[in-house]
Amino acid sequence: MMLEHILVLNAYLFSIGIYGFITSRNMVRALMCLELILNAVNINFVTFSDFFYSRQLKGNIFSIFVIAIAAVEATIGSTIVSSIYRNKKSTRINQSTLLNK
Amino acid sequence: MAIAEFLLFVLTTTLGGMFLCGANDLITIFVAPECFSLCSYLLSGYTKKDVRSNEATTKYLLMGGASSSILVHEIELQEIVNGLINTQMYNSPGISIALIFITVGIGFKLFPGPSHQWTPDLYEGMLHSWFSSFRDYECNRSIRRQKDHPKMIISWLLRTNQIRWFFFSIFLTCSYGTKVEKIEKNQSFTTTDEGFLEKLRIIIAFLSVTSKVAASASATRIFYIPFYFSSNEWHILLEILAILSMILGNLIAITQTSMKRMLAYSSIGQIGYVIIGIIVGDSNGGYASMITYMLFYISMNLGTFACIVLFGGLPPLAGFFGKLHLFWCGWQVGLYFLVSIGLLTSVVSIYYYLKIIKLLMTGRNQEITPHVRNYKRSPLRSTNSIELSILFFQN
Repeated sequence: MMLEHILVLNAYLFSIGIYGFITSRNMVRALMCLELILNAVNINFVTFSDFFYSRQLKGNIFSIFVIAIAAVEATIGSTIVSSIYRNKKSTRINQSTLLNK
Repeated sequence: MAIAEFLLFVLTTTLGGMFLCGANDLITIFVAPECFSLCSYLLSGYTKKDVRSNEATTKYLLMGGASSSILVHEIELQEIVNGLINTQMYNSPGISIALIFITVGIGFKLFPGPSHQWTPDLYEGMLHSWFSSFRDYECNRSIRRQKDHPKMIISWLLRTNQIRWFFFSIFLTCSYGTKVEKIEKNQSFTTTDEGFLEKLRIIIAFLSVTSKVAASASATRIFYIPFYFSSNEWHILLEILAILSMILGNLIAITQTSMKRMLAYSSIGQIGYVIIGIIVGDSNGGYASMITYMLFYISMNLGTFACIVLFGGLPPLAGFFGKLHLFWCGWQVGLYFLVSIGLLTSVVSIYYYLKIIKLLMTGRNQEITPHVRNYKRSPLRSTNSIELSILFFQN
């Protein structure tokens, strides 16, 4: 029964992250939701590694990789945000209407 | 805008793609596309003063980030599947859910049908500072691109009939192609406008080709090896993706007025054909046909983006041979619906390729046409010999 609780938590966080990512007008908020999604996946990994491979660390190693990559992605996202901010003085996504069909 | 960062980004991207092709682990299948994508975001946002390219990079980054997170979720589900397979449950719904997630995640990287929104914006935003006054300059340059490609190396590698060598050879041609372009520019990478535009051109050619190659390589391995027992399900999913991308890509390309967007949409359509090759699989040389088609696609696209005006009618014709092989393999396996849709959309794609040629021949820049004729002769020679060597050694 413990497993299902944690899975429900993971699904909840994942869906909140996806919803926030889709409906955010601010780019910084989108990056935060991306972090939320990746952390939800981390929780899931650790849970399943405890459930399936009790003595080995097969899932936890992956979590460490995901943490590192999430950090890099946040860095690069912040770089892009800062370069946009320098050009436009705002970080709203819905103002990007230059590239239309 | 120094050269050091540019080279670093390009090399790291290639490295990520190569790791992806040689991935044996789920961890590598996650980390390598991440490495590739992150460097691609940096490459596409390289011109930080340009507002449109910033916007294109934002879209690319957000879509790429979302797809990576979905891919991670899939991998975590895949791990559940491994745990379940250890306990002998082959047909659990967890496998289906994992399949759906991975198709979405990988589907973004390849951009087939539903996930293609960001591609034309990306191509257009990165190249919008292309002026027609540079066209003649580029035409002079294209004549000198007749160095020898590693054709014989590729055919020898293909002869060994191992999938890993196939993918590596694709990457070899890919990186070699970009290097050839760079060497041909007998110009230092300064901050003048011309060198800058060339860098952009290299970026866009590189991005458009390598991401597709890497993603299709990983897709074949992922779909065929762990999901072997549920092959019916991912056949259906990939069929849907292929149909959507072929139809959407080719139909929308008709209505485009901007050439860059049209090329982006045509590349979406090409991916549909490649997916047919993935579905066919190892029987009747499906993978081999996919790889030959990718080779043609590489040469076509690199030539295209390097010299956008001089698309030429011949690359599609040489590519038709690869397409024919793909369709023949698909027909033999029994994917009649897919192959018929592929044929229809190929006919449609001829229309907008010919539109470009019509513009070339009757255009206002009459001085381009002798260069066009020279360029059109060279792909015929090079791609035909590649074809012959590949087909000869495939048996």
